[in-house]
Formats: sequence, C-alpha cells, structure tokens
Amino acid sequence: MRAEPYVIWLADCTRDCLPVVGGKAIGLGALVREGFQVPAGFAISTSAYREHIDHNGLAGPLQALVTECTSLEAQKRASEEIRQLFEASRPSPRIEDEVLAAYARLYGDASAPVAVRSSATAEDLADASFAGQQETYLWILGGAEVLEHIVRCWASLFTPQAIAYRARPRSASLHGVNARTRVADLAMGVVVQRMVPAEAAGVMFTIDPVTGDPSGIVVEAAYGLGAAVVNGEVTPDRVCVDKVLLEIRSRTIGTKALAHRFDPAVQGTRLEEVPPLLQTQLCLTDDEVIHLAALGKKMELAMGRAQDMEWAIGAGRSGPREVFLLQARPETVWSQKPRRPLVQPESTVMDRILQAMRVPRPSASEADLRASQTGAPGSDRQMP
Amino acid sequence: MATVIDEPQTGRFRSPFEIETPPGAEGWREMYPPYLLFSEENRAFEDSVFWIWDSMHLPEVELPFDTHTHENWMPAFSVSNSRVFALPPSNGGTQRMLNGYEYVTLTPVTDPRELEARSTVFAARAGYYYQNWNELFERWKVKAEKLIGDMAALEVAERLPDLESDEFFRAHPAANSGQFLLRAYDTLMQMDITAWTYHFEMLNIGYAAYLNLFMFCRQAFPGITDQTLAHMLSGTETMYMRPDAELRKLARLAIDLGIGQRVASSADPQQVIAALRSDPAGQQWLQALESIKQPWFNLSTGNGLYHHHVSWNEDLRVPFKAMTGYIQTLQRGGSIDRPVNEINERKQRLTAEYRGLLQTEEDRQVFDQNLGLARTVATFIEDHAFIIHDWYHSVEWNKVREFGRFLANNRFIDQVDDLFYLNRWEVPQALFEAVSAWSSVTPCRGANGYWKGHVQKRKGIIEALRKWTPPPALGPVPTESDDPVMLMLYGLNTERIQSWLGVGDGSANVLRGVAASSGQATGTARVVRSVNELSQVHEGEILVCPLTEPAWSPIFSTIKAAVSDIGGIMSHSAIISREYGLPAVVGTGNGTTRIKTGDTITVDGTAGVVTIHAG
Repeated sequence: MRAEPYVIWLADCTRDCLPVVGGKAIGLGALVREGFQVPAGFAISTSAYREHIDHNGLAGPLQALVTECTSLEAQKRASEEIRQLFEASRPSPRIEDEVLAAYARLYGDASAPVAVRSSATAEDLADASFAGQQETYLWILGGAEVLEHIVRCWASLFTPQAIAYRARPRSASLHGVNARTRVADLAMGVVVQRMVPAEAAGVMFTIDPVTGDPSGIVVEAAYGLGAAVVNGEVTPDRVCVDKVLLEIRSRTIGTKALAHRFDPAVQGTRLEEVPPLLQTQLCLTDDEVIHLAALGKKMELAMGRAQDMEWAIGAGRSGPREVFLLQARPETVWSQKPRRPLVQPESTVMDRILQAMRVPRPSASEADLRASQTGAPGSDRQMP
Repeated sequence: MATVIDEPQTGRFRSPFEIETPPGAEGWREMYPPYLLFSEENRAFEDSVFWIWDSMHLPEVELPFDTHTHENWMPAFSVSNSRVFALPPSNGGTQRMLNGYEYVTLTPVTDPRELEARSTVFAARAGYYYQNWNELFERWKVKAEKLIGDMAALEVAERLPDLESDEFFRAHPAANSGQFLLRAYDTLMQMDITAWTYHFEMLNIGYAAYLNLFMFCRQAFPGITDQTLAHMLSGTETMYMRPDAELRKLARLAIDLGIGQRVASSADPQQVIAALRSDPAGQQWLQALESIKQPWFNLSTGNGLYHHHVSWNEDLRVPFKAMTGYIQTLQRGGSIDRPVNEINERKQRLTAEYRGLLQTEEDRQVFDQNLGLARTVATFIEDHAFIIHDWYHSVEWNKVREFGRFLANNRFIDQVDDLFYLNRWEVPQALFEAVSAWSSVTPCRGANGYWKGHVQKRKGIIEALRKWTPPPALGPVPTESDDPVMLMLYGLNTERIQSWLGVGDGSANVLRGVAASSGQATGTARVVRSVNELSQVHEGEILVCPLTEPAWSPIFSTIKAAVSDIGGIMSHSAIISREYGLPAVVGTGNGTTRIKTGDTITVDGTAGVVTIHAG
C-alpha cells in the first residue's frame, strides 16, 4: 500500500530521497554522513503526508479551496479554512505508531524536547526560502505535541503566501511549476530532531554573501536559539574568516538585544532581553568561530559548492561548548551567477599592469598605430 | 597636534607656511640647501599640493649631511618614472625639509592622452626588463657590488703632506694631494647618485608588477588581506635572512668547539673576542666570524639612511646578543633551525588553495602569469634593499667619516662625526678652504673656529628639533582617487589620510593602521624613537616606533608585538614581523606620539587596530 516508510532516519536521507523527505532532511543527511555533529533525528516522508490527506479525506476540499483563489483576501480566507481543516484532522494509527516509536528511540525517553521543522520537496524547493514553508517549532515535548506539530508543518504548505506564490505566472516560468499546480502534486517532508540547548546560534556562508568573495567565510551569530538570526529579529555579530588560512579577517559586534531561550516555566521558548554588557561582546570566541569555519570549509569541499548553513553552540557533555550543525544547503545567489573571467581573457600581463595603474586601455588599432609611428616594438604583445 | 579641516569632504592639513619653528631651533633653515626649503618664490606650487612626512624612511630629525641620501634618491626615483620608463601614472615626486624632517609630494600624471602616450613607451621598456629580469638582475648585482668595492677603495688622505713624497711625485707628476682629496669627495657624491640610480633601476617597475598581482587578487578575493598577498610573494632565502642564518651557524660552531659558554657572555663583544684569541678553538671560531663579516655584517642596525645607523661591523652587540640567545637555546636542547621547508610548503599550499578558489580556467591562467611575474621581480625587490640600504650605506657612511677625520685633523671640527652637522655643499667648501690654505701655507678661517661655531650652534638646533613632532601631512588632501604609487610605496590611501585628519576627534584610545602581521597581543608599550634607544626595550614589551626595521631582527625575538607610525604591507618590517609571527600594525600615523612608554596597549595585527587601555 505504501511505497516508502513514514519515518526515515537522517543518515539515510540521501540525494535520491529528495522528493520523499525534502531539502532540509537531505542537507542534514549529508552532514551526518560526512561525520559532522548534527542533533540526532528523523524525517517524516511525503508518503506520510499523502496517507494523512487520504486518511482524512482532504484532497477534494483542498483543491476546491485553492482553485480560482486570485485576490489576496481570498487567499487569506482559503488558507485559514485549510488551517482549520488540518487542525481538525488526525494522523492515521500507522503514522502515529511509527512516529511515536521513532521519537521514543531518539532519547530513550518519550518526553524529551525536539524541534519539528518543515522540509520542502523538489517541486517547491526553489521556493523554499519564502515565508510560510519554513515552519520551525522548537522545544516540543511529548508524543502528542510532536504529532500535532507535524500536522502544522503539513498545513504550512498552504499559507496565504504559498498559495499566492503558486498562483503567480512568474513562478511557473521560473521554476517549471505549472501555474495551476494541482494540490494532489504537493507534498511536504518534516524533520524531527533533538533540541540543542543553544547558548548561541546563527548562520554561516562559505562564500561572502555581500561581495561573493570565494575565499571568505562569514559567520553571523547571536545569543540563544538561531531563530533570532534567521528571522532577522536581531543584528547579529558578524565575523569574516579567511577560508584558506582559517584566520579571522574582521569582527563586527552586533547589538543582538534579544534571545530565544528555553523557559522551564512555560516548557517552551521565550524571547528574552540580553543583558547590556553581553550585547557589546561577541557571543562566540575566536576559537569557536575558527572551528565553525573549518566545518563550513570541510562541508563545501565535500559537496563541491558553497554552502549556506545553520548552526548552534551549546554546553558539551563535558568541557567546552559543542558546535552542532542544523542545516546545510547549497548557496544560491553567487553560485547561480554565470562564471565569467575577471579580466578580458586575451589581455597580456602588460595590459593588466597598465590597468592596475589606472591607465585606460587603448583600443588595439590606436596602440598598433602608435607603435608603428614611434617604432616601439609590438607594444603590449611582447610580455611573457 | 592641531589639524584644521576647511572642507568637510576633502579636508586639509595645515599649510607648510603655517608651521612654526620650535623654540630653540631658530636658524634651522640655514642648515639645509636652499632648494630643500619651502620658499616664498615657490609658494604657489608648494601651497597647492599635498605633502606627507616620510617617516617611513626618515622618522628621526636629520643632521644636515644626512639629507644627501634623499637629495640623491628622490631625483633618481623620479627620473626613472618621468624620463626613463615613462611610468604612466607618476612622475615621481619632490621633497622639502621642514623643522628638520623630510616632507614629500608625489606628482601623479592624470591627463588621459599623456597616460596613453606614456603607456606605449612603458610597455616596451618595462616589457624588456620583465622579459629579461633575471639576467638584468645578475648584471645589476655585478655593477652594484663593483660600485661598493670602488667606493671602499677610494683613497681619502688623513692629512695633507708638508711636501709631496718622491713616490707620489713619480706616480703623479706635478699633481698634488689636495687636488686628489677634492676629487675624492666629488667622486663619492657622484657614486652616491649612481647608487640611487641603480637602486631605482628595477624598483618602480618591480612594484608595478606587485600592484598588478595585488589588484587582480583583490578583485577575485575582495576580503583577502594584504599580508596574505605579501606572504604568497615572500622568499625564504633572501639576502636579509642570511646575516641571521650565519649567526645560527656561528652559534652551532661555538657549541661544537666547546666554547659556547665563552661566546654567550654578557660581557662586551670586544672583551669576548680578546679572550677568544688566547686558544686554538677560539681562534678557529673568530676566523669563521671574520669570514662572514663581508658582506653579511654590513646589516645596518637601522635602515641605513642615517649616519648613526651603524652596521653590525661597527656595533657587534646586536649579533652577539642574538648568538647568545641561540647558544642558550641549543644548550637547553632546543632547536634553532628555521623551518624553511615547512614555510615553503605552507606557502605553496596556500597559494594553490587560493588559485583553486578562482572560478574559471582563464582566471587561473591570469593568476599564474601575474604571480609568476611578481615572484620574478620579488628577488630584486627583496635583495636590493640589503645591497643598497645596508651594504652600500655601511661603506658610504664610513667613507664619509674619512673626510670627517681629515677635517678634524685640520681642526675644522672637533670630532669626526661633527662633519654630519655640515651639509653636502658645505663639506666641499671646508675641504676646498683647507686645501687652499695648505697650498698657500696660510692660516684660514675654517681652522680658526668658523665651522666649529656652526657645529656648536647646530647641535642646539637639532636637539630642539628632536623634541618636535611633525604632523603626518601638510596641505590639501588630494581629491583624486587613490594614487597607485602612493599606495604601493607608502601604504597610504585616501581613507588612511582622512583618518589622520580625525586625530583628536573622539576615539582617542584607538589607532588604526595597516594590518601587517596577524595575531593579537596585549602588553606594556615601549616607545623607541631612534635606533640608539633600542637597548631600553625589555623582554615581552610591545615595540612602538616610527618605523620597524628588519635589522632589528634580534629584538623581534624578545618583543610581543610591534607598532609603527608609517609603513606599508611590503615594508621590510612587515615581512620580518610575519616571519617572526609577531602581531604588527604599521602606518598608524602618530603611534609614537599618542602612545606613551608604560601604557598598556592591545595590538590587533589582523584588524590593524591598536587600543590604548591605560598608563
């Protein structure tokens, strides 16, 4: 009846599983297989999503709700109704069994905190960065809660933004998705991972996202969980590292006034203010930054292209703080630019020396003419 | 120091005509030749251009004779650009003395048509040099060493004879020793002009090749640091490494001969040497010492541009202190080998890694070509400094002292080194007068107090000028974008110059400069303004100086970090700091004024920032 299992452990999330577990799970799977420290976890497959749609008879109502949904107001209304549909739905017993068994295996304890995150599949992968498909629920405790948030991730396929985005003709031409994407073709993976009690977290690019410098690694970091950086709620610390030397090039201290932290009182996360003294200090040590950059460099080398990564750092089992990687995906902005030579390929060293001295490059005919008039030998064509 | 900002965007330093004479230094202008002074006749030009204090080369007040070095080098630098190679963007520069310190203005070429016309000539002439670089450099070394040999052989009489000897008469019929003495001085000055012509023969075009590599790499890797680029170019077997390498060999030889303890003594080197003469082992070691003195002990204890920058040959304390350290390390069972192979392998690996990050095959080809040429010219750029600044100058200053001995013997001055209180045109006047009086057998003014009076007065002036701190720049800041020559030679760009204008505005505890050698260190500052104060530096202190000098190498093994007023990423000091793995920030503009000895400071050699914590 079902082609794939509902639960796939991260280590088994290989490239060919992309339509089954989504991009986030694939990225994490690669990290695990490359030997990086990643919080243990598993993916919920798109088969589970489809089973859920079938089990609750959602296919018809969903298609009806999103069709002809062109105005912003209509999209909002449709999204809200869909959310209610999902909220009222219940996972099938088989899904429940498999997810609860995996959750129990994760800690050997059925009440430990996990993060539940959506993992977009191939069809929507290119769109994955737009809001609404990047649901992340932190500090989820207990099997019932885990199941409930998996369903919420599924529902996030139908945020107003997502509905609007799919309705845009541009989306079709850009990403090869039919403008009238059939609801039946959509699916969503989910990742469930142990929660890292992050003291600091953030993102890392293995290419300078501002200048495109391929020899630069940029780490952005703030206190608490990574959400503060990812959602742009704080100005993070920014440290640039030389990728070759693994030496720090520059440090810019951000204010990072807020931090998402676990609050035992509510058994969940809370946005807290960071004490002023800590705001003016870097939230990572130089050694930690270098360690992170080394991980980024290693991952880029393993994947063969620049990476856009998320990480967290928290108390180790003993001794110093430990770094966990939470996400790795190919960098998309600079990597997708066409690779053009930096200088005109036919230029000679002498052409370039003259350019370096800010001498405007004469057109070839003028240069040849002058060379023949002055008797100067072949002007700029005699360089080694 | 007060700075005046007229225009918010460009800014302006004080005019050279607004600078006052420090108290006690009245009459200082008479010490220097008229062409070296700011003047009313030339005010229209002098007040319209931007001047920087060349504290990178000349951080200390200059005695009148010492200015002859840059009087000769500035035209040699300029003429190579303006009339010989037609270096497109620059005609070189000119210089003025102000309150005993040298200011330089560069003369860029900006007219597009002129730039184009020059680029054709430059491409042909510089192209010829780039193509034949190694061969031309070999020839260069031969002629430079011949010049040094000829200068050393120049005969300067200590005294003129009462009567020419028969021997002299037979060799030079009807000539006379006075005539020879005057000719020797003229020859010396001619040779100095030749030396500086040699110095710049391949230097500017070499820097053009450096600039080319640097610009390409900055385009490919916008965040790459200057020190990384310099590291890719640095050689591990340059002439500057040799004196230190020879000391390591001597240290090992002392241990092998069983005289380590006697060499590694805290006594004066002359006493140590005298004691070693008493036995065969000592004699063998001394023979080895003698065999390396030429040329390696011509290493200047400064940059060679001041007469008091004596070489190791004159002051053996520096090499003996270094050898003592090496012997003690060996006796403790430590290693004193420079890990040359490791350094080379690391350099190759890093270079290959950056190359691998380039995005296209074309870029990699361009990188290889640019790096190849830069490495070719690097041999000259690194070695010319030892040959001219150290070796040539050690010989030259000592030759000049021979004229000082003649003048002292003739009671024109009290001591040999008093000669340096006369300028280059006054010395031949004094010599001419001495020879005239000798010829006519008459008394003369010069021997009766005229020059001694000048020397005495000027000693007071020099002391007064020594206490004055020159502003880093004068006149209007250029509005043009960065001058590539200014950037390459002085490590100065518009941003850094603008930051000097901000002196005293807020950030009083933070100095910015060029990140010359990575790493961070906090410690006690020791401000050293001249080479003679170097012995005051204690182990673990942070050296703060107008410029850091490669020949201070042994000091670098005891200090924690280095800070200098001026210097670029390619200054020898920056290279040595990297070699020693010391954090260094150069080109702070005024570190020696803002930091006081005893201050606790943090040097961030990666960011190029120095923070003053407290006194």
